[in-house]
Amino acid sequence: MPTSILGPYTRSIVTVGVILAALVFCFTYIRSDVYVSIFPFFEWMETTWFGVIGKTWGAAFASVQTIHLLGLALLGGSVLVGDGRVLGLLMTDISVRTIVDRCHSLLVWSLVLTISTGIFMACGVALKIYYLPVFWYKMLALGAGVLFHFLVRRPLLQHDLERINPVVLKMTAISSILVWFLVAATGRWIGFSG
Amino acid sequence: MNEFIYNIAVWLDDTAYSALIHESYYMYNWIESTHVLTLMVSLGMLFLIDLRMLGYAFPDVPASKIADKLNIPMLIGFTVMFITGILLFYAVPVRSSQSVWFRIKMLLLVACAVNAYLFHKKMSGSVASWDNDVKAPSRIRVGAWLSLGFWSIVVICGRFIAYDWLDCARNQPALIEFIAGCIDGQTRF
Repeated sequence: MPTSILGPYTRSIVTVGVILAALVFCFTYIRSDVYVSIFPFFEWMETTWFGVIGKTWGAAFASVQTIHLLGLALLGGSVLVGDGRVLGLLMTDISVRTIVDRCHSLLVWSLVLTISTGIFMACGVALKIYYLPVFWYKMLALGAGVLFHFLVRRPLLQHDLERINPVVLKMTAISSILVWFLVAATGRWIGFSG
Repeated sequence: MNEFIYNIAVWLDDTAYSALIHESYYMYNWIESTHVLTLMVSLGMLFLIDLRMLGYAFPDVPASKIADKLNIPMLIGFTVMFITGILLFYAVPVRSSQSVWFRIKMLLLVACAVNAYLFHKKMSGSVASWDNDVKAPSRIRVGAWLSLGFWSIVVICGRFIAYDWLDCARNQPALIEFIAGCIDGQTRF
């Protein structure tokens, strides 16, 4: 069986590495250098087909926004049911494994839907969101949510749950709910800003 | 009828709390954010129930369990959504009551309620015979598709209320003016 050169703690080391990289990025001049250098990319986004359609036809933009919201609803449902089961609040007579696995596939589909529609929307208002701090908070929250889900929550819940400290499980579920609601709340606040 | 609705809307608009909500940047935004975020609770749960009936989610979990257990959080979400929705209408009553999208949304909410009642009635009468099946019987699946469709259009209409394409303040075709019940353009909130 192939093993990683980092041993059995590969995921933990990668997770800590990602967190450290994010902190270094946030608290050094690298952040402002990157911020300036990605401006042409945002200018280019507005010239793409998505950008032109989003800017020209308000109805197209609003329709895609609606699909984004429906994807968000599905994402919320899958997160709440999965984490609600881990917390012991929902469907306690069905195994955690069954609920968490089924919710995972729904979450992946809803993420695909929300991210793809989100890219379309971002193209339509690229230069506006470039200057909005709340957009970057949302990206940070989304990145944290995706990394948390795939690097922490999912691997943790694939272990034998009987052997995991219940407090760790509950903290994981609460963190998951909070991070996804933060993604949704910051996304909503983009509409109020600028 | 439109005159009656308009007069009520004007009366609501004249109340101090209506002005308080629409003049307060953060108050209105918090209410609207809560309204949208409870989508994740109410519609999230509803979609999971509908998708279970259609065989796209939780195929190995009995349908009755999904419907029973998710009903309560769904209703809590709908309650918060309903209250915040009323507050949003109260903040901008005149424009909202003369919005085509708002009127379609209200009609569809009634259709959703009727569909939900029929769905639960049919389901509770027969669920024992198909509870563990991957897909519900066709009559239940029709209800699930209708629920998904109606609620999706409700979200579309809710989103479109924010846009002014069909506002009475603009020159609209007679049909739009008729549906919107235009009386006083948009001289008030």
